[in-house]
Amino acid sequence: MGKRLRDPWSDHRAERTLGAVSLTVGVVVVAMVVFVGIHAWPIFRHNGLSWVGPGGSLETEIANMGSTSVHPPPSAYQLRAWPLVYGTLLSTGIAVGLGLVISVFSSIFIVELAPARLRKVAIPVIRLLASVPSVIYGLIGILVLVPFVGNDLISSSQKASVQNVVELTGAGLAVTVVILTVMITPIMIALICEALVSVPSSWREGAIALGLNPLRAVLAVTVRAARPAIVAAAVLATARALGEAIMISMVSGSRSFAPKPIDGLVFLFEPLRTLASAIVDYHEGVSAPALGSALYAFAFLLLFSAFVLSVAGYLIKLPLRKYQVRG
Amino acid sequence: MNRIRRLSVAFAVAGVLGVAAPAAASALTTISISGATASYPLVSLLAQKYVKTHPKKVKFKIAQGGAQVGINDVAAGRVTIGDVSRDPLSSDPAGLVFYPIARYAICVVTNKANALSNLTQGQLTSIFTGKTRSWSASLTGATATGTIDVISRQQGAGVLSSFQTLLLEGKKVPGTFPEKISEGQLKQAVESDPVSIGYLSNYQSEKGGVNVVAVGGVACNKADAISGQYPGVARFYEVTKGRATGAALAFIGWIEKSAAARKIISTQWLPIT
Amino acid sequence: MSAVAHRAGPDRPMRTGRGRRSSPTTWRWGDRLALAFAWIAGIGLCAIAAGIVLYMGYRGIEYLRPSLIFQRPALSTTQSGSGGFLDPLLGTALLTVIGILLAVPPAVGSALWLAEYGRPTWLARAVESSIEIVAGTPDIVIALFGLSIFQLSLFAPFSFTASGGGVFGKSFIAAGAMMSLIALPPLFTATRDGLQAVPAHMREAAFALGKTRIATIRRVLLPSVRSNIATGVTLGVSRIIGDTAIVVLLLGETLRLDQQGSVPGLNVLRGTGSTLTSYVYGNSPAGEGGAPQKAYAAAFVLMVLVLALNLLVDRIGRSQGDASGLTAAGAVV
Repeated sequence: MGKRLRDPWSDHRAERTLGAVSLTVGVVVVAMVVFVGIHAWPIFRHNGLSWVGPGGSLETEIANMGSTSVHPPPSAYQLRAWPLVYGTLLSTGIAVGLGLVISVFSSIFIVELAPARLRKVAIPVIRLLASVPSVIYGLIGILVLVPFVGNDLISSSQKASVQNVVELTGAGLAVTVVILTVMITPIMIALICEALVSVPSSWREGAIALGLNPLRAVLAVTVRAARPAIVAAAVLATARALGEAIMISMVSGSRSFAPKPIDGLVFLFEPLRTLASAIVDYHEGVSAPALGSALYAFAFLLLFSAFVLSVAGYLIKLPLRKYQVRG
Repeated sequence: MNRIRRLSVAFAVAGVLGVAAPAAASALTTISISGATASYPLVSLLAQKYVKTHPKKVKFKIAQGGAQVGINDVAAGRVTIGDVSRDPLSSDPAGLVFYPIARYAICVVTNKANALSNLTQGQLTSIFTGKTRSWSASLTGATATGTIDVISRQQGAGVLSSFQTLLLEGKKVPGTFPEKISEGQLKQAVESDPVSIGYLSNYQSEKGGVNVVAVGGVACNKADAISGQYPGVARFYEVTKGRATGAALAFIGWIEKSAAARKIISTQWLPIT
Repeated sequence: MSAVAHRAGPDRPMRTGRGRRSSPTTWRWGDRLALAFAWIAGIGLCAIAAGIVLYMGYRGIEYLRPSLIFQRPALSTTQSGSGGFLDPLLGTALLTVIGILLAVPPAVGSALWLAEYGRPTWLARAVESSIEIVAGTPDIVIALFGLSIFQLSLFAPFSFTASGGGVFGKSFIAAGAMMSLIALPPLFTATRDGLQAVPAHMREAAFALGKTRIATIRRVLLPSVRSNIATGVTLGVSRIIGDTAIVVLLLGETLRLDQQGSVPGLNVLRGTGSTLTSYVYGNSPAGEGGAPQKAYAAAFVLMVLVLALNLLVDRIGRSQGDASGLTAAGAVV
């Protein structure tokens, strides 16, 4: 058989082999959905879809799950994980919203406004920010930002105002959102810059000829034409923010608490927990069947969201294709 | 890629593996342990000493996760021994055997800047159950003001369970307080928050960096714990599924009987009797 | 980003007509605010990046001693006795090697198949979508998936089996296999972009000489996309060494490299260990918390590695000649 392998391969055989190799990735994706789904199934069976809804105390439910061992009673699978879903939506939503605005304006800066020297610096800077590991963001967050917020920004009267419900320690929504925004902005800037550059400058010049000032011309013409890229950037950034586990586990205060906007400014300092950071926080308990199922259910929800995001991004970009700007 | 390059890549890979793998060991039995973070330092030191005095017999794999994780893991057969820092509960799975190996004291601690010196039993219960929420002059020696930041452990922690039974008159710590998943984290949190209060095993509190509070007039240290005056003394257990056998039995027997083990235990902890 | 470098800017300002530039002082207030915001955003981002690098550098120099890199970590009750982070460093290296070795065949193979064959079309689209899905999956989900696979008794030989019959499921093989999924998308994108950039006439010349497709791939295409593959590998390596979630869940988190079994070489792969990232996480207040100094030192080493890899990507890209920007070979994706 060795000789057969060493003989020049025919195209047919090569195509088959390479095709099989390509299929392995597809097999892995299917396996991922299947295995995570199988482990998550008990939670769905017991709670239906309402496990993402509110009700009861999540921390009590998780403690319950953790303390039941090999053959848990059905009541152990009771789960209402709304605080986690809310925490995920809140942190991701705010971070992506802020990030989009900052990215668009930074991209305009890099592409149109910056002096050449600064522009040459900006590119490696963006690439650097994109490749910093999340544990380093988390380290700076937990050792620098959290004590700063906890000791210098939160006043004791603010603490006292919520002391019967939750403790404010500095680790919470504000630090989480700030660091998350810094993490996802470079991804968006890279994509948006590329798109801004590929818009023909004649379009912008036409707008200027019609009397718009240069910045307005950029905003009205170039940025609008780059909308598919902005959508792609937003989708990519949302996927990144959803899946961020380690950094959030370090700076979010790790309380399964749903921050209340009614609390005013204190809302920013309240601790939270996301689906991904919950998996990291509780991962040592994964061998307890009930708790393990809950963690896999969180993972399944994240997987599902990643799917939905890709499809949504594709669908949103479809009508924008007519501008024929690479997105 | 020609032959020389292929070979050099193979050598590079083998080199990494070779550097990383000390001399190949013969077939050793592995004792895997998981569980309480409070007993982790003790069990690690015991394991280290055991390997030194019984070379080439066993290897240890020690993880943490909290006492409840230890119980779950050993009941599921994932580990050989579970470290537990509380007495057995009725909710524990059947068939587990608890071997006590040492005792430890649970100390109430505050930030170093807060000179709280003593708490009565009533004050202690009231603070940790969430009834008293602000520092005040009635708490002897307290120099902190404002909200009391109570820092607690996660639900599966043995130290929490022992703390509630022994020092909180059986009442529970409410879920509004932050739950740290290890002793190290709790100590870290207390050290960095000037208005915080928490509870640690005496090993952690005696390391320094925190202010140790007396309970009912009795200081939390080894002497008062051994004399029996301090109320918050709990036990460390090694837990196996069914009676211990083989290497696990040998290890547990060594801990219970040998002089070397007793010496290690008495450095920072209390002997079982 | 050479295209970006040639765009408008004060050296080629946004001029309206010959020699006259629209000065912001004539603009409306809203537009002036927007201009200011753009400047602040741009400069702010550079400032943050500089801040992170400088701060990590400052702390690193404060706490890093060469002995830390070469000392093995030790269990100790005191900081001074707890050793360095040689084992985590080796763990990072080992995991990277395993991850890349496992990622290269599927990534390059799929890219080749997609670029050169690609029939039937639904299959091609499926393959592309799968890789996109893997790229968009959070690393924590991939880690849980790895746990569910490697804790099956089918995969017991790849890790450690406890006396009660439970498969541990955490080992270098397990973590390395999942790391290959992390490295696969950038490698695939880089190779595919490189293949698509090869001019058609090269292939046509080879066919005119009577070469089969597969021979063309081996002799003409693969050598010409070498630097793309190198870029992809470097990007993959950079993602692997920065990943923490998979390490925390799948590598067993033992401070030292802990072998399993008695076959030399294989026992390291089946064993557990730690990496720089899990070491930083464990020493930070999120882990045991006792040693922020060690965390800073290890984080500094990690930053240096990441910076070096970034420079390498730059260097490869430049030598390639047609560096096309930040998203070259999916640099940021």
